[in-house]
Amino acid sequence: MISDFCKKEDFPIFKKKFNGKSMVYLDSTATTQKPKQVLDAIVNYYEGSNANVHRSVYKLADDATELYENSRSNVAEFIGARSNEIVFTRNTTESLNLLSFTIGESLRKGDRILITSMEHHSNILPWMRLEERGIYLDYVGFDKEGHLDIEDLKSKLKRETKIVSVTHQSNVLGTINPIEEIGKAAKENGSTFIIDAAQSVPHMPFKMKEQYDFVAFSGHKMLGPMGIGVLYGKYHLLEEMPPFNRGGEMIKDVDFHSAIFEDPPIKFEAGTPNVEGAVGLAAAVYYLKKIGMEEVRRHEKHLTSMTLKKLEDLKNVKYYGPRNAEERGGVIAFNVEDSSNLKNDLESKNVKVDRLYHSHDIATFLDERNVYVRSGHHCAEPLMRSLHLPGTARASFYVYNGEEDVEAFVSSLGEL
Amino acid sequence: MYNDEVMDRYQNPAKNGKMEDFEIKIDEASSTCGDRVVLYIKTDGNGRISNMMWQGEGCILSVVSTDIFCENAIGKEINSLRGQDDLAFVENFPIKISPGRINCVMLPLRAFRRGTKEK
Repeated sequence: MISDFCKKEDFPIFKKKFNGKSMVYLDSTATTQKPKQVLDAIVNYYEGSNANVHRSVYKLADDATELYENSRSNVAEFIGARSNEIVFTRNTTESLNLLSFTIGESLRKGDRILITSMEHHSNILPWMRLEERGIYLDYVGFDKEGHLDIEDLKSKLKRETKIVSVTHQSNVLGTINPIEEIGKAAKENGSTFIIDAAQSVPHMPFKMKEQYDFVAFSGHKMLGPMGIGVLYGKYHLLEEMPPFNRGGEMIKDVDFHSAIFEDPPIKFEAGTPNVEGAVGLAAAVYYLKKIGMEEVRRHEKHLTSMTLKKLEDLKNVKYYGPRNAEERGGVIAFNVEDSSNLKNDLESKNVKVDRLYHSHDIATFLDERNVYVRSGHHCAEPLMRSLHLPGTARASFYVYNGEEDVEAFVSSLGEL
Repeated sequence: MYNDEVMDRYQNPAKNGKMEDFEIKIDEASSTCGDRVVLYIKTDGNGRISNMMWQGEGCILSVVSTDIFCENAIGKEINSLRGQDDLAFVENFPIKISPGRINCVMLPLRAFRRGTKEK
């Protein structure tokens, strides 16, 4: 196991048996399991401190507000930010939509936005909507091992490029992108630099840098509950931005035809916020800090290189992304060659087919062995098109996975 | 994988291939899984199916479901095929289907309903 501070027993779901067997959960890129410490924090909040925050003046409400704001401070400290730069949202998708509907709205016809071909849909669709207004969306390509083409990125940084928004770690290829370097290039170009950190903040040490304007990530991908996400923004940028949603809590004063909005981050948190989510996320952050993010990264790197090595021995398995575990996170997209008759027959009739098992069939095959992997396009269809694939299966690791999970995964795959 | 019946049909489908003298051609793609199936339909002129073939690629479940659908369709009325119950359709598949795979099995029926709407 990863360290004295993380045991599989901390995660109640792993007690669950399917046909008398334990599960091998390899889908933490989609969502992570929750330790008892996080679940307890949520129950304790409801049993001991539940009231609406930032409103009432009685003691219980003070307790709730304090818990909520302490959660914000803990999350801020975790990534090296100040607490008034942390906006709580529902998830990474909402964080990026918030940016699209605020700074995105200030773009003019002819302006450009630069993203990459390895983005999750949540960092594509919020920007694509602006194309209707004559704003261009440019994509940076990647090489055949899945490394981002930095020269391509630099050549696409134009005077009109107002926003550069890049994933820190691909949720399919696993590629860890050089965000410091990309951020510097973006800032030298005068562009706003946004990081989709949904797959990096949970898995490696993340420290804020001057060139990072906005950083988005989700609680549920880092042991926290669903429905709580984070948008980090430089305070002066948050100050200049208009609100996203409007309503309760986010105002200082409301008249019949005018309103004065609260200061950030409350300006962006209209309505009753997800207090249990924030409290749960803070408990998750505490849990991860106890393990240490260096240790989380080291552990995942170990499982990843172990898996890649074993997959290379399976001649019918093809995996995608960098070969070197140093350059990738603990997520492995793969396919398995299919030598069954139908496709051979089609090929003899000159129908071109890639002779791969469909990723859903791989996932169902593994499911029958209690090994849970994701299949499909992983919310990254432009990436799949770049790879000329309809989909892949995907195995991903987190703190609760061990070598025994790798063994179970690879030996099950070997039976296919 | 799955069972012999499913795998036998996957490897030796009965109705896979192109039909030249079709009356209806339905091109269905499932963007969520990259499956693509083309159904070719020929009728007896009175709304009854005299032959149905398919081409395309997809997962084992969608391919097998499509092949069974084509074979079972022969001699049936278009409207009765369209009107069959989704749940019963999935339950009649040779193996038990988990909720996450229902769309795979439903692919031919959905394609058929969409493509025969105006007929």
